[in-house]
Amino acid sequence: MSPAGRTVFVDRARDCLERRALWLTALATAAVLVAMLYLPVSIVFANAILADGAVTLEHFADVLTDPFYVGVLADVFADPLAIGTHLASLAGWLGAISLSISLEYPIPGTDVPIPWLAVETPGVRTGLFGFTAYQAALSTVASVALGLPAAYVLANYEFAGRRTLRSLTIVPFVLPGIMVAVGFYAMFGRAGTLNSILGVVGLGPFPFVETNPLAIVVLAHAFYNAPLVARITVAAWESVDRRAVETARSLGAGERRAFRDVVVPQLAPAILTGALLTFIFTFMTFPIVLALGGLGLATVEVWIYDRIQRLDYAEAATLAVLETILSLGLTYAYLRYESAQAGFSRAATDRPREALFPDLETMLSPKRLAIGAYGVVALVVFVGPMASLVVGSFTDGSGFTLRNYAFLLERQLDGASFQTRPLPAIRNSLLFGLATLLVAVPMGVVISVLTVRAGRSGTVVDTLAMLPLAVSGIVFGIGLLQGLVFGIALPGGWRLQITGAVAIVAAHAVAAYPFVTRNVSPLLSSLDPAMVESARALGASRYRALIDVELPLVASGIVAGAAFAFAISIGEFSSTVILASGSESYTMPVAVERYLGRRSGPAIAMGTLLLVVTAVSFVVIERVGGRYEL
Amino acid sequence: MRRRTFVGAVGGTATLGVAGCLTRDGNGNGNGGSGSDDGSDDPSTDDSAADGSDGESLSGTLEVVTYESMIDGENPAGPWLKDAFEDAHPDVELEWTLLPDGGINHYIQRAEQGAEIDPDVYLGLNIDDLVAVDDNLEDGGLFAELETDRVDRADRIRDGLDMGDPHGRVLAYDTGYISLVYDESEVDEPETFDDLTEPEYEDALLAQNAQTSAPGQAFLLWTIDAYGEDGYLDYWRDLQDNGVRILDDWSDSYYGAYMEEERPMVVSYSTDQVFAVAEGNDLTRHQVGFLNEQGYANPEGMAVFEATENAEVAYAFFDFVLSNEAQAEIAERNVQFPAVESEYVDLDDEFDEYAHVPPEAVTVGYDELRGTLDGWVDDWAREIASQ
Repeated sequence: MSPAGRTVFVDRARDCLERRALWLTALATAAVLVAMLYLPVSIVFANAILADGAVTLEHFADVLTDPFYVGVLADVFADPLAIGTHLASLAGWLGAISLSISLEYPIPGTDVPIPWLAVETPGVRTGLFGFTAYQAALSTVASVALGLPAAYVLANYEFAGRRTLRSLTIVPFVLPGIMVAVGFYAMFGRAGTLNSILGVVGLGPFPFVETNPLAIVVLAHAFYNAPLVARITVAAWESVDRRAVETARSLGAGERRAFRDVVVPQLAPAILTGALLTFIFTFMTFPIVLALGGLGLATVEVWIYDRIQRLDYAEAATLAVLETILSLGLTYAYLRYESAQAGFSRAATDRPREALFPDLETMLSPKRLAIGAYGVVALVVFVGPMASLVVGSFTDGSGFTLRNYAFLLERQLDGASFQTRPLPAIRNSLLFGLATLLVAVPMGVVISVLTVRAGRSGTVVDTLAMLPLAVSGIVFGIGLLQGLVFGIALPGGWRLQITGAVAIVAAHAVAAYPFVTRNVSPLLSSLDPAMVESARALGASRYRALIDVELPLVASGIVAGAAFAFAISIGEFSSTVILASGSESYTMPVAVERYLGRRSGPAIAMGTLLLVVTAVSFVVIERVGGRYEL
Repeated sequence: MRRRTFVGAVGGTATLGVAGCLTRDGNGNGNGGSGSDDGSDDPSTDDSAADGSDGESLSGTLEVVTYESMIDGENPAGPWLKDAFEDAHPDVELEWTLLPDGGINHYIQRAEQGAEIDPDVYLGLNIDDLVAVDDNLEDGGLFAELETDRVDRADRIRDGLDMGDPHGRVLAYDTGYISLVYDESEVDEPETFDDLTEPEYEDALLAQNAQTSAPGQAFLLWTIDAYGEDGYLDYWRDLQDNGVRILDDWSDSYYGAYMEEERPMVVSYSTDQVFAVAEGNDLTRHQVGFLNEQGYANPEGMAVFEATENAEVAYAFFDFVLSNEAQAEIAERNVQFPAVESEYVDLDDEFDEYAHVPPEAVTVGYDELRGTLDGWVDDWAREIASQ
């Protein structure tokens, strides 16, 4: 072949590959999903509909007619056709509601009376599912309430360290559950940091945790999820088309009106995405509720874990399937809404940001004071628990100590091969995090691209693609164990077995790609389809149009999704601990868990390392990623 | 342009993610990494000559699976055991394997699915582990019945630590006692279980979830021992009325709630003061209380997997673990009580001073747990969590 001929051939091959690139990536994505998600999960879910090898619905009937699980609905499920009876009991319940107004003293230890509208309702048995949904709803409200002001400040004001602070908002997201619990006790406990500070001015100590354990659980959920809401919203806020706002203003709309009519509609999908993810996460919350709230606040996931422990897979799988159905139903409803929000094209513009601290006079304006007050709240809720952890790693009964870090150092230098060493854990976490990012971003983007304008069928596929978020982490872990770690026997003496680093990265990517999709899809769907069509009309392949036209316009969503992918990987525990078993592939959260013994010091020191490493990598990642944003 | 190469490279990596996942049965289970010595301790010679006689003839690798704190964490006994055992038997290598996340369930599931079981010995078996094995596999399964006459020192084990296995699969090597730990500046020592339901102890007690936590389950079983199968739920209703708080596991109840002074009493271990002294803490908040003058004993045992081909070495290892010096090292490093009678072990005075032994030890045995444990825990948890 002549050199010219070769060039033509290579060009053709590249063309051919380029035309199929989208589909090849889609196929690869599907393969990963089958091996790492559908297969393991269906192995466990099958237990829900099988009894002695035959298909049955009796497990569902058992759960749905048990008042412990579904509360008052048990009667309805037991006899769905007795509508008259159900309506009569509903009417009886409504008739017994009473309202009263009183003065209450809800702030512990103080005598500030607050008028309280009390709604007396006769007790309703909510069941485990009802309570789980209730606390998830409260947590979602709290997360949005704490997350939105952060998004507002980060997107609209300029101040020293803004970019770094924006990067650091991800840090709470990666903290292992047990560290969050210990951090919250260290911050809000009777002997905790907050009471020490209040003690200086002669207040307290207040029993914050004891007074209302549910409130503390909700706050801890907000600690995890408000940053999530904030990040997703900031990404959308930064891509709000400035010109549209200016046009509205020039047409005579006041600042408030322009905000309500132009900015809010563009933010709503992002805020709702954050709320949806928060609800799903906190619906399936596990270690936090029990560690801070106690067994009285048990959720469905607690019972799934217990059933798995007792090797009662049928009931565990039934509960998990119901959880998944609820989560996916909610996701579908949301996605129908999101796909209806199509339309106006927008391009990320360089936003002018107001200075946060211009001069003393502005600083005393109500708006700045409100921001200041929010800053104090954020300091207490987000920084407090983490700072208390860090302080805890440097103290013991007699004051300042370095022995916890000396332990880590000694373990690193002299640790035997069967012991957990800090540096491999850090190295693995970073490597898996980067690999996850590289795998999850194309997976997530491809799903966004294929579903975003595919109408109702696209919404269905998109909903199913959110499965990793909607499946109980415990079930996923057991599925990986039974499917991939034990291996699946194939004909001819072969065994399909996937463990170690490759499996960990694949599992992390499966858990992470929905974040890429959820960050990219809203932006993609708001692009003007005419842009892609003209590129195609001018001869560009679908792939080329995607790379050259669409992706640059949604770069902020991709970078936001990539950051989440990295964070999910760094923080993932339940499947990592199963896949890393018996190998050197342990990560930082696994190391934290392994160091947790009768003394907590070494684990807290390792948790502090986890915080520092994560914080530094996020500042670096977003500096690098920022170059790809416009 | 830069963006283009970035996305292109990403697309390539995605397809590599699932490579290399088929293995042929029979290969690929060889564990390379030979353990490097940690060299921190130099075990001296053993107390008895029993090892020497047939020790020379033993060879091979003994894979022992055990829980984290035996081999990881601060100053654990595991590395010492490995060095000392290998010194006594120069041709033997002891290989530690960390117990997988599911604990005994991991091996029950492996057995159920016909997947291979690599380790030879399980170190750290509890009575309820055996019950779980027998409730899920065939009676007396997973572990081999021990020929105790091949373990010379087996008769040193104290009475009451035989663990009650009708199939004789397990030998105890240490035990712990569940007790209360309380702050004497805030509450007086409760004498009985009934005391805990008195107004004096309102909103005072922290306990753990018996579904997930070992001390939590032990405390529940202790109340079942005290009030019987028919009375324990009533007792727990009284405890709930008096404001007991049941957290997830020992770490969050102790390091989270108790040490941040949320409450003045916690269900914990009778060795509490050993750690408190090492941590430099004042002992006011580390008083050990034995309800009804009892403590709940949680003996830990060792067993050989049925499939092992290293039974000879395993028996030598069991005998070694029960030797004078090994018993002392396990007790002091892991802060547990020895399994052998006191004349067969010499402990430091400091250990004796701070590790408290209850006047009476209670344990709910294999026979009572068999077939009933899950139901007890489930009834209890539903009582607490009902919404």
